[in-house]
Amino acid sequence: MDFKRFRLIYKLITKNKKLSEKRHPMFERNRFMKIFSYGIIAFMACYLIFFGVMFANIFTDGSKEACDMLNQSIIIFLILDFFIRFGMQETPAQEIKPYKVMPIPMNTLMHIFLFKRGWNLYNVFFMFFFVPFGIMTIATTPYFGVSGFIGYILGIWLLFVLNAYWYLLWRTLVNHHTIYFLVPIFIYAAIIFFGMFADEWLFEGSMNFMRGFIEWNPLCFLAVAVAIALMYVVNLWLQKKLLYYEIAKVEKVKNVKSREMSFLNRYGVIGEYLKLEIKSISRNNVVRKIFVTGVIITLIFCSVTAFTPAYDGGFMRVFICIYCFAVYGIMTLTNVMGVEGNYIDGLMSRKESVLSLLKAKYYFYCFMLLIPTLFMIAPVVTGKYTIYELLGCLFFTPGCVFPFLFILAIFNNTTMNLTQKIQQKTTNSKAQFFVSLGAMLVPMVVMYVLVMSMGSIWGGVVMMTLGLTGVALHHVWLKAIYKQFMIRRYENMSSFRATRNS
Amino acid sequence: MQLETLKKVFGENVALDIDAFTINSGDVLGLVGNNGAGKTTLFRLILDLLKPNTGHVTIKTEDAEYITSKCEDWKTFTGAHIDSGFLIDYLTPDEYFSFIAKVNNISKEEMEEQLKRYEDFMSGEVCGQNKLIRNLSAGNQQKVGIIAALLNQPSLLILDEPFNFLDPSSQLAMKYLLEDYNKQTGATILVSSHNLTHTLDICTRVALLEHGKIIKDYSKDNSDMIAEIEQYFEGNVHHETIAAEV
Repeated sequence: MDFKRFRLIYKLITKNKKLSEKRHPMFERNRFMKIFSYGIIAFMACYLIFFGVMFANIFTDGSKEACDMLNQSIIIFLILDFFIRFGMQETPAQEIKPYKVMPIPMNTLMHIFLFKRGWNLYNVFFMFFFVPFGIMTIATTPYFGVSGFIGYILGIWLLFVLNAYWYLLWRTLVNHHTIYFLVPIFIYAAIIFFGMFADEWLFEGSMNFMRGFIEWNPLCFLAVAVAIALMYVVNLWLQKKLLYYEIAKVEKVKNVKSREMSFLNRYGVIGEYLKLEIKSISRNNVVRKIFVTGVIITLIFCSVTAFTPAYDGGFMRVFICIYCFAVYGIMTLTNVMGVEGNYIDGLMSRKESVLSLLKAKYYFYCFMLLIPTLFMIAPVVTGKYTIYELLGCLFFTPGCVFPFLFILAIFNNTTMNLTQKIQQKTTNSKAQFFVSLGAMLVPMVVMYVLVMSMGSIWGGVVMMTLGLTGVALHHVWLKAIYKQFMIRRYENMSSFRATRNS
Repeated sequence: MQLETLKKVFGENVALDIDAFTINSGDVLGLVGNNGAGKTTLFRLILDLLKPNTGHVTIKTEDAEYITSKCEDWKTFTGAHIDSGFLIDYLTPDEYFSFIAKVNNISKEEMEEQLKRYEDFMSGEVCGQNKLIRNLSAGNQQKVGIIAALLNQPSLLILDEPFNFLDPSSQLAMKYLLEDYNKQTGATILVSSHNLTHTLDICTRVALLEHGKIIKDYSKDNSDMIAEIEQYFEGNVHHETIAAEV
């Protein structure tokens, strides 16, 4: 294929990619989050510039050159970059699907998609850090000068391109089998342990290597270029190998053990929706991961609070207590109705099924509070918290925090893809953003004010009373939420349909 | 069922525009029309899954009258399957049927008896497979949706393109199933399909849709129905132009 045609196809594919991002239903309908995400990017850029300047100032006083000080730990930036990329990109084998039957050689398509990975604007994002840092520590010094700065920035860019291909390799393998999830964790843990703690070769090695860029040592550039080329070839080979797997991809069909869960039969229709909630967690990759992450984070917070002297006083003591109870709900309920978006038409064609579903969800989340309750008994025994504070949090969460989170059932209208191996980053709605922020901050402030003004006993009692009132009235507020949901039903159903399988 | 000044517009495109249309109790109404004629939109509007720009759908029973967008009581005697958005695909078919039965207050015995009636239609590929619905073939998923819609023995049954994805034997089984169901229960059945043969075989009435409007309403007594409908679709295909292009 001649270069002219290659360029034409490259341009067409780039245009299609831009249109697909621009016209994604979640983004198109969500102007707030679009502006918000641009704001976040701008904020991150400013933050990186600030850190670049700050590090340049801090390291200037050291015994070594400022740039050498930073370059010793360049691996940290590469690890950070790797994990920021997490869940962001599709693999070329996935992207190639729509073009597969077109009269374009497969090799050309592969090269285009792989080339785009390296020639990606994201690979220069960390330049917001390195450019100001480089200007202050390299370009303005007489020893290195502007040429040293250019060499340094070029070298850094090459490293991030290499990182992009390394990430792509891993992402492709994870798509094939989730066991590869552990590979970067082990690799990075081994590099840091053996290179920074057991021995210190990594500091010296990366400092000298980066110095090579500044001094335009051709061997350093050659080494990274060879590594990029190697990574490119491995990716190309792997993508070709997995292309047909991706195209004909079907979920591995396993025989499912049907569980009756007869203990829930006594709760009638609500019991059926409870079964649905449990089966949704156990059978859908994405839902299961959110559940496990939520439980693990709850356990981490609870363990730290229960078994370590951390957060012993002041606002943090209050924060951690209420957070242990509320964190699972905050993490998972912000996406409430996302799963149900997949079968919303079925739900809506049955009388009050969404109300029963919301009730079942509420009982399920109340049941999940058993985990923090059991863990928090230990700090009560050791005197870190009073029993009143514990009970206050236990009832305040389902009575006052959950109603806030359940309000999201009215506004959430993005369907969650249930079978993905990695949850894609989704654009959240304005309501999702403010409600989850409110659900996190308001209880802490309430508890802090109550405990500080009335003491831990009466503060806890007031929280308990407020919470019990909310729990006792759950039928009323759930019905009110359901009514509001029904008012917005057409808008929500339309959005759920539009975002299904997108 | 009465449709009154029912109109749905998507952007500038009028998807459906019906001044007045009545569907009588016990009718087996077939909706035919080319893609984009408004068949699915009409079903979604009847089922209150879309907001009409104007008008409403009224369902009258012996004791009451329901405007579908104003209340939910009509849902208790309605069964519908439009697409996979009706299926909870992380359940097995058995679990899904059991779920539908329980939320409709149908006992286990009654459900099993119902399922026995559809054994031929399921042809041993749906129940007892221990597979999630999402792992079934498109045809078997369609069967699950149709049987679930029938489980509460609805007096109003709405099926959008029920013959899609089904193999020829299952299409025939589907045809007999709908005929028998209508005879036994006297239910009103609304079916849309591109399969003219089956639709014309089972329907007592056929409405022809074009660009959102019902342009013809045939009853089975009309001896010219089949010929006219076939002529309509023939008329939309310009043989000579296509042949010349080929």
